Amino acid sequence: MSSPSQPDPRFEKAKLGDDELLVAHEKALGPKPDERARYRLAPLMMLFAMAGVILFAATYLNRYSGRFDRSVYDETALPNAGGAAEAKVDPAVAGKRLFGTPGACVTCHQATGEGIPGVYPPLAGSEWATGSEERVIRIVLFGLKGPVRVRGTDFPGTAAMPAFGASGFAWSDEKIAAVLTYVRQEWGNKAAAVTPQQVHKIRQSVGERKEWTQDELLTVK
Amino acid sequence: MTTAPIQAGPTSGEWDAPAGAGAAGAPGRGPLLFLIGSALVWLVVSGVFALIASIQLHTPGFLSDCPILTHGRVRVLQETAFVYGWLGTAGPALAVWILGRLSGSPLRGTSWLGVGAAFWNAGLALGLVGIAIGDGTGTALFGLPAYVHPVMLASYAAIAIAGVLAWTGRRRGPMFAAQWYAAAALFLFPWLFSAADIMLVLAPVRGVLQAVVAGWFAQGLWTLWMAPLALAGAYYVVPRLTGKTLPNYDAASLGFWCLVFVGGWTGGRHLIGGPVPAWISTLAVVTTAMLVFHYVVVALNLRPALGAGSVLRFIAFGVGSYVLGGFVDAVTAARSVAVSTQFTTFDQAQQQLALYGGVSMLLYGTLYFAIPRIAGRAWSSADLLRGHFALAATGIALLVVSLGAAGLSQGRDLADPSVSFAAMATHMQVWLLVATGAQAILLLGNLLLAVNFLETAVLKPGSGEGVAS
Amino acid sequence: MKNGFVFFVGIFAALGLSWAGIVLGSNSQVGGLTGYYDDSDGQSYPLRPSGEAAAGLLVYRDLGCASCHTQQVRRPGFGSDQARAWGERQSVARDYIYQTAVQLGDFRYGPDLANLATRKPTAPDRESLMRLLYTGQGAMPAYSFLFETRKISGQASDLALKLPAGLEPRKGRQVVPTARAERLVAYLLSLGTAYDYPEARPAPHAAKEGADK
Repeated sequence: MSSPSQPDPRFEKAKLGDDELLVAHEKALGPKPDERARYRLAPLMMLFAMAGVILFAATYLNRYSGRFDRSVYDETALPNAGGAAEAKVDPAVAGKRLFGTPGACVTCHQATGEGIPGVYPPLAGSEWATGSEERVIRIVLFGLKGPVRVRGTDFPGTAAMPAFGASGFAWSDEKIAAVLTYVRQEWGNKAAAVTPQQVHKIRQSVGERKEWTQDELLTVK
Repeated sequence: MTTAPIQAGPTSGEWDAPAGAGAAGAPGRGPLLFLIGSALVWLVVSGVFALIASIQLHTPGFLSDCPILTHGRVRVLQETAFVYGWLGTAGPALAVWILGRLSGSPLRGTSWLGVGAAFWNAGLALGLVGIAIGDGTGTALFGLPAYVHPVMLASYAAIAIAGVLAWTGRRRGPMFAAQWYAAAALFLFPWLFSAADIMLVLAPVRGVLQAVVAGWFAQGLWTLWMAPLALAGAYYVVPRLTGKTLPNYDAASLGFWCLVFVGGWTGGRHLIGGPVPAWISTLAVVTTAMLVFHYVVVALNLRPALGAGSVLRFIAFGVGSYVLGGFVDAVTAARSVAVSTQFTTFDQAQQQLALYGGVSMLLYGTLYFAIPRIAGRAWSSADLLRGHFALAATGIALLVVSLGAAGLSQGRDLADPSVSFAAMATHMQVWLLVATGAQAILLLGNLLLAVNFLETAVLKPGSGEGVAS
Repeated sequence: MKNGFVFFVGIFAALGLSWAGIVLGSNSQVGGLTGYYDDSDGQSYPLRPSGEAAAGLLVYRDLGCASCHTQQVRRPGFGSDQARAWGERQSVARDYIYQTAVQLGDFRYGPDLANLATRKPTAPDRESLMRLLYTGQGAMPAYSFLFETRKISGQASDLALKLPAGLEPRKGRQVVPTARAERLVAYLLSLGTAYDYPEARPAPHAAKEGADK
């Protein structure tokens, strides 16, 4: 069964004992006087390999670690170089979210800002939305009732716009400013942003009231 | 110099004396054989689960109306039985045995070894039942339910006592590479496991930190426990069978420290692009690349395994897979490559290459070397051994190739938003069928090993062939 | 290596250093993350999940859903995550602070679920998720053990599934979700990370690259 070239697989005899194994490897490690003062090739190559690996590691870490910053999720970015920075809430972003709140603006005026012909007036390109802040803030705060003319089309006013500043929604000045800023700068609209201070002033000066009508608003400058 | 043959010493006749004849290792025979035997049972059990999980990928309805065998649970069952049952039972047993052999005196603390073995297996069995009924922790490589963690830790400590005693009681001061790897693996597991237990179960960390801890644990378990356990065996068996000192042995310690120091930092490997700060995965990319150094050293040291001999064939296959796996890891860790292999079966192919092709093959080789010396009896069948190698080698190659190919196809499909998941599954179908075939082949091979072990170590054939010859 | 003590200090240091670097390091950075307070909304994000959704997370975990579904959206350039409408921005650590067992997942045999409930344009509703769980679809097996087929006594339950023809139970019977199915679906419907945190916005140069493509 066991030929000299092919040892018996059921029990392969060891050629080296435990103690011999230890001694031999100790010797292999032992201090070896380099009598001929020659470099040994393998360790030298290993040194190069190690140096190469470390160089790669250092370069890669330096480039793609985002300076070990907690808020860098994109390894090619650097902290505070844009998206990663801890920034204030962007009103356009907050406004977009508020606009899309179920039951709020998007329900009637639609995500496209075009409204529904004959029922809900558009906001895109609307002279009301992009016109005087005084009027548009009043509309959002207290609502609007009755017929209204937008972009040259008359809307019969079968549906009223609710008040967002009071009961029901009760949006804060900041929220109303944010959503108006979004509306005034989206879909190609290019009107100035609305600040919470403006909203606050109007809220204080008007006090409590019901929905506006078109004629009432037109008296406001 | 490095490969000079060694003169046979005067004691050469005693090396392979049957353990019963009073040589080193005799006292631990029973517990060691029990540990290894139970490891083989878990290996077969995990093979059955692997087969089910593999079938479920191409035939989703398979056993799906059985709540304890949902695909998610079967995958965890398979992984747990394989890692804790097979690798984690056979590995420490062999590590203890090797430490005992190299200490030059008989194993001590063997009654602890037996107690530990019994509780380790009981805990594991309870844990698998727990996973099946939904108590698992849901963390990769850490699926065992929380309530068996204390049992696993305590029984592991009992098993390791024998290793620690053998290590502290060794006659020679300087240690051989096999001793570094065995001692490090035995010592580091409880720390890793209890650290993970505290941070994931007892006082769980918040949010994505759980994923970071899980990654750190999984990579640590691989680089600080499973890989060293297997390497301990390989470093021990190769010089003993070839009769030569290992080539480039002076680099071996560099290889060891590279694995131990760098390995633990590769934890963010699977978090690339994920919701964690970028540096965590960048660090993993870098350290996985640095580990290549370790794999090169292992390849240099263990290259004599390519010589003849049935046992060495397992080791040679294992070293080859281990080193290849290391290089593939380094390549796929890079972000530009990971983009297309992440979240696909390619990851599983790599895991199988490492755990089956690398660690398991090395353990098989060590096992074939060790069992006759532990049991004091030669293997009962050479054909079963050869058959096992043929099946294991074929099965692993098929499994890795098919999962890899399926993963590449999956990666391509995932990157294209116009491909639906149904279409993706269809494209992978053929390869997944091949993978199921490979799992069946592996299961069959492991059954051969189990039968051979049963006949050799348990059934005690009448011929009672000693191995002193 | 002759000195056993130094050896042990060495391997222990290796483990300890990696623990300190990766676990403690990231803990000091994202471990204390709190919700992001939005002045204009007057509340902080992410929203806390309801009790039922939190219980559903455990069902999700113990069934092993994470073995086929991930819950992490990567930024553009990393696969087709955003093109498949799985989310409008990349997932960040803050999205997960209220999840007791984070299920990032590492294999995608099915779609990502990080934003399941806020997916645009079509987020699934309770009814369609229940039906999907009961019948399965494509590579997703049916989880029919999460449902009970009961006799209709008197009026049919409001919770009973409306099943397509061919899958209905026998006449006079109805398929009703169990409490586990309800929890699981409540959890799935709580998955959504719509808020734009500053750290989740794409880096400016990356946004420009995206626009060029």
